[in-house]
Amino acid sequence: MSATMLAESPATYSPPAQFRLSGSGLLRSEWTKFWSLRSSWIVMICAALFGAGIAVAVAFDFTIPPPEASEGANAPAAPVDPLTALNVFFGFQLASVFIAVLGALFITGEYSTGSIRSTMSAAPRRTGVLWAKTAVFGSIVLAVYSVLILATFYATQAILSDTEYGGLALSDPGVFRILSGQVVMMVYLGLLGLAVGAILRNSAGSISFYVGAILVLPMLMVELPWEWVGDIAPYTPGNVPNTLAMLDTTGATLSVGESWAWMGAWLVVSFGLAAVLLKRRDV
Amino acid sequence: MDRIACGRSVVDMIEIEHLTKRYGRKTAVDDLTFTVKPGVVTGFLGPNGAGKSTTMRTIVGLDAPTAGTVRVNGKRYAQFRSPMTEVGALLEAKSVHAGRSAYKHLLALAHTHSVPKRRVREVIDTVGLSDVAGKRVGGFSLGMGQRLGIAVALLGDPAVLILDEPVNGLDPDGVRWIRELLKSLAAEGRTVFLSSHLMSELSQTADHLVVIGQGKLLADTTVDEFVNGRGDGKVRVVSPDAAALAERLQGPGITIASPKSGVLEIQGTEAAVVGTTAAAHGLVLHELSTQRASLEDVFMEITADAVEYQQTKEGVAA
Repeated sequence: MSATMLAESPATYSPPAQFRLSGSGLLRSEWTKFWSLRSSWIVMICAALFGAGIAVAVAFDFTIPPPEASEGANAPAAPVDPLTALNVFFGFQLASVFIAVLGALFITGEYSTGSIRSTMSAAPRRTGVLWAKTAVFGSIVLAVYSVLILATFYATQAILSDTEYGGLALSDPGVFRILSGQVVMMVYLGLLGLAVGAILRNSAGSISFYVGAILVLPMLMVELPWEWVGDIAPYTPGNVPNTLAMLDTTGATLSVGESWAWMGAWLVVSFGLAAVLLKRRDV
Repeated sequence: MDRIACGRSVVDMIEIEHLTKRYGRKTAVDDLTFTVKPGVVTGFLGPNGAGKSTTMRTIVGLDAPTAGTVRVNGKRYAQFRSPMTEVGALLEAKSVHAGRSAYKHLLALAHTHSVPKRRVREVIDTVGLSDVAGKRVGGFSLGMGQRLGIAVALLGDPAVLILDEPVNGLDPDGVRWIRELLKSLAAEGRTVFLSSHLMSELSQTADHLVVIGQGKLLADTTVDEFVNGRGDGKVRVVSPDAAALAERLQGPGITIASPKSGVLEIQGTEAAVVGTTAAAHGLVLHELSTQRASLEDVFMEITADAVEYQQTKEGVAA
């Protein structure tokens, strides 16, 4: 190809110089990997159906007038807080489990199939792959759920327009915070799942750990007889984003700002551990 | 341009020095030292569990050595700015997500190094997977998976190819194809390093041999030397006058065996002597050939002590 090359002995081979490993290359690679699996599409669609589907169904239920005050205790006190309409979003809690599992599988799938060997041979410094996966997966969840949650908001508001829950605008106090909180929560939990996958490297183990230790354990903690265990429960990785989507944050242990700080801290800890292990362990 | 300055043609492309790898208490590779040169096919021979795959994994940095160093073209593999063009590796067949198509798998890897789609199509054609490139890999046969693995190795058009048991699962056509492919890649000046536990396979493909057993180096030599250096050559004769010929050939230092009637295997002489003797006595010969000790024989001899899973006496009888 080049003159310098030709001057060398004929049996000397020089590989193409234009192929170069790069961060943007790793991003494109992970993007291709994510969308080239049918399971990614299926899980994304399931998560969307559960989240938005439950919201729409609940919104329709809200439009049915409550039976005449026979249920006394459960009857909402008038006047209703219009933010109550945002309770329809609770289906997204279920969706977040799908997203976290998808995050874990995004990396454990490489280990279980062995494709991690070609991935890490192509990028032997390894951590670049982890950051590319994180960026790609985080961006996909952010983009998809921004659209989905906004669409769900407008759809449910359209359904509720004739009720006392209708008439909410994005600019109303608390609305944007709660909606963006739902999105951030989804991204955070998805990334947490990815980090767990990177640390444990095993699909079944990662999913069990996520569901058991991150989702269920904090709920049990408050039931335990030792008060201090219940006291730390709000600071556990699965609980710290809760404040973001609360209708009323006044009684919350963490403020919105603290909630952000704790999410950041847990991501730094989990991804830090994942990166160190990725560097140290054999593939 | 820095790559030209480092004088690729002079250095050994793969340098393994005192490599030791332990997994817990098990030593997979034990103080292994050898080099692999460009321009020839180097075979990496050893019984199962000898440490071949482990050694290959350390070359591309998947496993870190417990002790010793592994260098490719003078550098640690992780230091390369474009690893994929330096080393292409096939480490295990079907190391691909079963739900992904062959094309997407290659494309994802190609993206890391900004390798164009054209090159992806090219390697798919080279390995003969054009018809199934869009299909999910889960449905691939072992041979197709192996071809895909070879496509991955070729993707970056690399200077060094490392192939762990590449003929596994290939049909006879495929075996011939890969043999020719590897020879032509070596002829271009690339370094080709392939492992096998099939001695016969390497004898037809490799020029140079590195033999290991239980993680230790047993031989580092050319294929010819490996075979000729051990075991005497035999002269094989097929003749209707076998008995008469055997009588005429008797002499000191000559042993004659007759594995079946009409066939002689003579050690301690040469084919020319046998032919001349036969002609002098008017004996008819149907076949006269020199038999080199097969690579198999030499390999069995050399690794006899180094087989990890020594079979029990009863096991051998089975």
